[in-house]
Amino acid sequence: MGLLGTALRRRAVGQPPLFGWRGLIVYAALLVLMSAALYMIFIYAPAERVQGDAHRLLYGHVAVAWLAFLAFGIVAFASVMYLWRRNPRWDSLAVASAEVGVLFTTLTLISGSVWGRHVWGVWWTWDPRLTTTLVLWFIYVAYLALRMYIDNVDTRRRVAAIFGIVGVVDVPIVWYSVEWWRSLHPVQSVTRAGLTAEMVLTLVVTVVAFTVFCFVLIRQRYLLERASDEGEGLRDIVRNRNDVLRQTGAPSAPEAGE
Amino acid sequence: MKPVATRPAPLATGEPETPPPALTLNRITVGFGRRHVLRNVSLSLNSGERVALLGPNGAGKTTLLRTLATLQPPLDGQASIGGADVAKHKRTARRDIGFVGHTPHLVGHLTARENLAFLASLYGVADAASRVAEALDVVGLTGLADRRARELSRGQLQRLSLAASALHHPAVLLLDEPDASLDRDAVRKLPAMLDALCPSSAVLLSTHDPEVAAQVAGRQVVVDRGQVIESGQPGSTPQAHQTPTGGPGVSFFGAAWALLRKDALVEWRAREQAPALLAFTLLVTVLFDMAFVIPAASDAPAVAAGVAWATLLLVASLSGVRLFGSERDANTLTCLRLAPIDQSAVFVAKYVVLATHVLIVGLVQLALLSALLDLQLFQGGMLATLGLVTIALSAVTAMLSALALESRAREVLMPLLAVPLAIPVMLAGVGATLETLQGAPAGGAAPWLGLLAVVAAVFLALSVLLYPHAVDG
Repeated sequence: MGLLGTALRRRAVGQPPLFGWRGLIVYAALLVLMSAALYMIFIYAPAERVQGDAHRLLYGHVAVAWLAFLAFGIVAFASVMYLWRRNPRWDSLAVASAEVGVLFTTLTLISGSVWGRHVWGVWWTWDPRLTTTLVLWFIYVAYLALRMYIDNVDTRRRVAAIFGIVGVVDVPIVWYSVEWWRSLHPVQSVTRAGLTAEMVLTLVVTVVAFTVFCFVLIRQRYLLERASDEGEGLRDIVRNRNDVLRQTGAPSAPEAGE
Repeated sequence: MKPVATRPAPLATGEPETPPPALTLNRITVGFGRRHVLRNVSLSLNSGERVALLGPNGAGKTTLLRTLATLQPPLDGQASIGGADVAKHKRTARRDIGFVGHTPHLVGHLTARENLAFLASLYGVADAASRVAEALDVVGLTGLADRRARELSRGQLQRLSLAASALHHPAVLLLDEPDASLDRDAVRKLPAMLDALCPSSAVLLSTHDPEVAAQVAGRQVVVDRGQVIESGQPGSTPQAHQTPTGGPGVSFFGAAWALLRKDALVEWRAREQAPALLAFTLLVTVLFDMAFVIPAASDAPAVAAGVAWATLLLVASLSGVRLFGSERDANTLTCLRLAPIDQSAVFVAKYVVLATHVLIVGLVQLALLSALLDLQLFQGGMLATLGLVTIALSAVTAMLSALALESRAREVLMPLLAVPLAIPVMLAGVGATLETLQGAPAGGAAPWLGLLAVVAAVFLALSVLLYPHAVDG
């Protein structure tokens, strides 16, 4: 069972991702960072003069917003690499980043909306940043939908990679168009009070904590996608093997999904 | 536009010149993901040799033929046609390939003769008219030459497919069950037809009928469970390789022009898109107008700006679903993929078709809104905006149409993909319209028009660059 044995011994299949001592260190660091960030957001940072406690929402909001952009950047990079190299690993990275990106964009929109209700008095306004973020969310939801609707693996990867590139090229265009659109109809902009040193420190710690969280999520999702690919591959290998065995009349192994 | 790879020169040796085999498979493995449909298959055909592929259902015969036809790249090993690798030098290989698949790749609304003439223009066949007439005569369709393909019977279509595949004197003819729907008489005449159509071509055909195999082919190859289990003795000795008369192939614009003419003719005859799109436009405009029954005349420009471009976006994404989808449903996309043309030319032709539809709808739309909102919309600024919105919007939707081609539920997916990406086009269209209609100082709309031009340029460049990846692996 040379072929089968080799495939089964592959680490990615048998082991749950991110366990072992390396995983332990990462999770411990994440726990410490997140606790520190929460402590600083809710207790250490002073209340803001104008917004009061509502501004505490913004630390997490800023962190997830920038990480969402970063995740979509990774989608674009992985898409280019996939089209160039045709290695399925790049596609797995793209889908992992896209899902985490959509999750973080959703969090950005929700946290921003709650904050806006308290400070601006409205749940939503067509501010350039808000609008661009919403369009971004729609683009990557469309990316995930497109993937869902294509059955052939190779076609799905190829088409998704193209859409991933087109999507990221569209983002600056969306940003400029929305900016111009609103500047023709200016809205009342909220003046932001200066940040104190404590606030800046809190923001930095929160961003670092969420960045680690984001990368852990992308990595986990990536490994899950790889494992699922490997699973598919294993099933294919069993079937190939059975085809060969049947030809020689030998008994064949049971196949999943049949 | 990639340069077409040249055929490797034959090795100069002192011995009497043995021509390269017309077709070689060197230990190829073909499949999807890691699932192998063919394993380690090797096979070689000399020019003029006729070989039958036999084997049970699911043995891999069709996959083998599709791999040779450049439609399915091998996972491992090498397949080449006349020395050109089918995965690396597709365009060179395609010039030498004639392919008849399970389903005919013919355009239903064109006549038998027009179908062949269209293909002749894609392959750059010299002296096309007489070659088409000759091919029709050989397959016995001269009497039906001016009947549309959709009116032909299954067997007649099969004959027409045979004529179409051999039109450009391919070095290799690949026939997937050519006898499937032919009558006994036609099956008996098959060898004679091949003799007359392309005497020097190597022919590889799959069939379930051992009698047909014996009649047509000099050698029989049996495939089972993805492997060649019997490959017979090479029948004929290598013949001199007759250079195909296909010529140097057609240029990018030649191909795009041929495709455009075909689409225009089909739309004229089938009237598949225009009437429905115009009715849809009328409906949506009236609906919007009812929804925004306007309190003050000063709001009319804003309503016009919103309704005009939103409707156009809906029309473009609706029309976009059919743009490549109709080719795929009618199986003619395979025929375009098989042609030795720059695949981006297909995109350009389709783009022009979509832009024409959107422009016509846009003009009707402006007339409707002029009447409903009592505005003068036929003025320079508006027409410039319409032109640029059309160009940009069609670029976005044509590209997405190609991407959504292989997806399930294209109709549902298309607006989901198109609307977010087209937001800049919408905003720029609305911005330019408001500037124009509210009598802003001259040049107020210029930044918006500039934005539209940028969107159009970016998406067109991306599409022409990426389209071959989208459809052709």
